[in-house]
Amino acid sequence: MITNNLSIRKATRLILSASFFLLVIFFSYTSQAQESDGIPTDESVVSAGESLFKGNCAQCHDIHEVVIGPALKDVHERRPKEWLLKWVKNSQKVIASGDEYAVALFNEYNKNVMPSYPFSDEQVTSLLAYIKVESTKEPVKAEVAAAGDAAGVAAADDSIPSSYLTAIFVVLIVVLILILVVLGLIISVLRKYLNESSELNEEDVEVVNQKFDLFGLLQSNAFIGLVIFLFTAIVLKTLIDGAFTIGVQQGYMPTQPIAFSHELHAGQYEIDCNYCHTGVRKAKSANIPSPNICMNCHSGIKNVGGASGVSPEIAKIYAAIDYNPETGEYGNNPKPIEWVRVHNLPDLAYFNHSQHVKVGGLECQTCHGPVEEMEVVYQYSTLTMGWCINCHRETDVNTKGNEYYTNLVELHEEHSKEPMKVEDIGGLECSKCHY
Amino acid sequence: MLKKIYQVGIVGGVVLMLASCTAGPDNTGLEYAPQMYHSTPYEPLSQIQDKEAGTWLDSNPEDEHGEFYNSNEYNAFGMTMREPVAGTIRRGGIPNHIAPDDYETAATELTSPIEFTPDVVKEGKALYDRFCDHCHGAKGMGDGSVGKVFKGVPTYNSAAIKDQPEGHIFHVITHGKGRMGAHSSQLSVEERWKIVSYVQTLQKQ
Repeated sequence: MITNNLSIRKATRLILSASFFLLVIFFSYTSQAQESDGIPTDESVVSAGESLFKGNCAQCHDIHEVVIGPALKDVHERRPKEWLLKWVKNSQKVIASGDEYAVALFNEYNKNVMPSYPFSDEQVTSLLAYIKVESTKEPVKAEVAAAGDAAGVAAADDSIPSSYLTAIFVVLIVVLILILVVLGLIISVLRKYLNESSELNEEDVEVVNQKFDLFGLLQSNAFIGLVIFLFTAIVLKTLIDGAFTIGVQQGYMPTQPIAFSHELHAGQYEIDCNYCHTGVRKAKSANIPSPNICMNCHSGIKNVGGASGVSPEIAKIYAAIDYNPETGEYGNNPKPIEWVRVHNLPDLAYFNHSQHVKVGGLECQTCHGPVEEMEVVYQYSTLTMGWCINCHRETDVNTKGNEYYTNLVELHEEHSKEPMKVEDIGGLECSKCHY
Repeated sequence: MLKKIYQVGIVGGVVLMLASCTAGPDNTGLEYAPQMYHSTPYEPLSQIQDKEAGTWLDSNPEDEHGEFYNSNEYNAFGMTMREPVAGTIRRGGIPNHIAPDDYETAATELTSPIEFTPDVVKEGKALYDRFCDHCHGAKGMGDGSVGKVFKGVPTYNSAAIKDQPEGHIFHVITHGKGRMGAHSSQLSVEERWKIVSYVQTLQKQ
């Protein structure tokens, strides 16, 4: 009896859904397409929904993948339309009303608040229409990941690993030695043959049995003179070069406690130097950013190249500030990150970043080199006094739009046709930097 | 002959020693007059924690540490800098008492103390390019080079944001919102308002 009942129910459901399907087809051919779930399939409505979706939703939602918010595939089947209308217009109100589904959803997605959208019912419906159409489509493969991989491979190809170079070098030497041995063998065989053939006159015999007098050559005055000259020249050059590098830390590239890559942050991701080095326009020092600036991005980005889990280097930031990336909570046991200072200007010289960057309008790269290409930062310039002075002699003062210089420029132009250089306004005075 | 080799060896050794004065990856190289390089007073951005550093030229044996040691042992971790006391207001900072998550009050109550003249908007754009561009994109479309990876960066002209008043934007820059972090440590109040002036033009595009 029960099975009969069931089969009857199934049959009626089948008939109902079939007729419903027919109805749907019928209605969709009529001008005003309206389906049972209240979501139209009109092309114009769908395209309106598409532009709304791309302008407002795509930053946090994808159809097939979780981005910040949930994947929206078949969302119209998961939730009733009325609920979705309320949610899009003011999600916080729905959560505050104690709606169980809304509260669970909010907690599941790390309590990220979805902004309220002042859409009309028609606009939300068009959004749902777009989502409904997209739900039936296959997900498009993420191009970003592929592009990232390609970039990674390209970066790896850029330089030949040093182990390869060594191997090539060793093989070359072995081949050269083999050739030498073979040549030696050929010479001795030929000599033997010629000696045995005995059809040679005396001169020929002398040529054939000639010995290469290496020792004689080594003892010749010309050779000894040349060696002494070369040796002295190299010694002097190294001495002079070495003496000039005393106190110059050009090329200093200390290992940092966290392997922070300027190439990745400033190069690939184009983060402006000022974003982290906040003191550079305001103070003497450019400043090493405090971890709260790291966390502006690394609260969300926990690994390199979109990989899951926490990268060991980023984990060092979390450890230093006692942050738990799982719960997003801070402990009360932070400790400083002991960065190693790269540019050590001696205590006797005063240098002010804001004077050079804000007033002078210099680019960071002028003194620090191509930092955006440095995996590990090194001291690019010599930072010697001669280097400072040279720049002060050659650089025109950035007087544009700076009233402070108006009178100075006037006075300067009275007796000179050259543009005003830094040296003209005291850039070479001892006490400007040493006091 | 042996004597000659010995002499050459000595010269070579001296050359090598001088060559090692040069700075290397993990080596600052030889310092000329090291007392002039190392600050005896506390320095904000460099400090030496090794008490033995510079013992060889100690000018003040009574302090019981080397010449170059300049860490403050009374501070946590021997740091020369301290964190500001809770509730510290930075110079030029105008405090308001609106709670960090109270965006509605901020939107209605906060107004810019500076007029949004074309010059201010221009300065705002320069600041925007330095502090916002990499996430929010050049035109505020959320398509900056970091924004694409960080995800969830809204477009300024989206329905939820395009009509937000200046107070709301100022409050978001100050305290952050959603996935965006607080930027008050990087930007002064005036700089924030300048950025607001430019963001308001992007909202209307």
